[in-house]
Amino acid sequence: MRSPAAAGFFILALAFGAAAQDAKRGEYLSKAAGCLGCHTEEKKDAVPYAGGRALKTPFGTFYGPNLTPHKEAGLGAWSEADFVRAMREGRRRDGANLFPAFPYPSFTKMSDADLKDLWAYLRSLPANATPSKPHELGFLYRWRFLITIWKWFFFTPGPLAADAAKDAVLNRGAYLVQALGHCGECHTPRNFLGAPKKDRFLAGAKIGEATASNLTPTRLKKYGDGELKELLKTAMTEDGDVLAESMSEVVRNTTSQLTPPDLDAMVAYLRSLPALPDESK
Amino acid sequence: MSNPMETLMKKSLFAALLAVAVMSGEALAQAKPETLVKQRQSAMTLMGKYFGPMAGMAQGKIPYDAKIVQRNAGFLDNLSRMPWDGFSEGTKDTKSAAMAAIWSEPTKWGDAADRLQSEASKLYAVSRSGDEGAVKAQIGAVGKACGGCHESFRQKQ
Repeated sequence: MRSPAAAGFFILALAFGAAAQDAKRGEYLSKAAGCLGCHTEEKKDAVPYAGGRALKTPFGTFYGPNLTPHKEAGLGAWSEADFVRAMREGRRRDGANLFPAFPYPSFTKMSDADLKDLWAYLRSLPANATPSKPHELGFLYRWRFLITIWKWFFFTPGPLAADAAKDAVLNRGAYLVQALGHCGECHTPRNFLGAPKKDRFLAGAKIGEATASNLTPTRLKKYGDGELKELLKTAMTEDGDVLAESMSEVVRNTTSQLTPPDLDAMVAYLRSLPALPDESK
Repeated sequence: MSNPMETLMKKSLFAALLAVAVMSGEALAQAKPETLVKQRQSAMTLMGKYFGPMAGMAQGKIPYDAKIVQRNAGFLDNLSRMPWDGFSEGTKDTKSAAMAAIWSEPTKWGDAADRLQSEASKLYAVSRSGDEGAVKAQIGAVGKACGGCHESFRQKQ
């Protein structure tokens, strides 16, 4: 005869099992979304996801905050709903606007299920007490309420809708590129208010002294599928030529970690984009 | 006995002549910009040739072979010192992927070049120690030095 306690234990074990499963999926999502890059300090032996990486922009320098479950320093006090709202609507826990240096205009396209799994993964990280560094922003750009106007012009919240005219592979690729990979944050040129130009999606952009390549077929047609996938797995062409470090890092953290079907989908989707000319120099 | 003033003048004249001779010697040895570009690109190409397999081993794509790593690390150590004198000011307008920042930011450029040389010579040293883990980590560090420099000084191709 089964005791109620045993039954309770059984249900608990099931629940934990499911939670562990979600965290595992979430770990993969965190790689596909490249969270590590901005949310980890740029030094040897830095604690993953404890924040600190500087992102220099024309508006000032942003520092990726601590995402570990530490009560004061990290997201310990956040609920799943808080997290989903931050990703979906670009809001802090207190409701104030987040700066779009945090690429929520891309992450808003993630599905509810993926957001929840990603949250489960972040909850499973060891709490770390490193405080998040405050951003250093230009005088005009400090006011978070101004972001409301920016959002009104440039931000459409909501998950990516599947395109019925395209097959499952292309839809998966679109999701990986647009939502998780947030490739357009670097590879789409921006207007003077820092918003991506929609008609120039992934056409390549200048970032400070460096450039992010045109990812439309204009440039990618130079590579075969095999070559392109190798490049995204190794950050290197077959003759040993090494990609610029900012993309090499993306390869290490993200594209080399994708499953083969996901990498295929990403490449297939990029190939399906309209071929756009490079930005004028 | 010649007076000290005269000696000094003779010495200065000699020094000046020597300087001219050295400079023209340099000028004579100075290859055409197109040649310099080709030569420095050749050094880069060969670095790719010997770095590629090591990176493949570090990424677990091909089996680790300490002998090949030792040999390639030695080649790379030498090659990593070769391209830089090919980036003389005179090659600025010659067609290549080199960016103007090389000449407008000589300190940053010099640091990037130095970094590759020091990471490559470290790799040579650890490749002889036989510690596979350390060797693989150092191959990664060399790759970062390559990519770090390509970031700001080489045009996308």
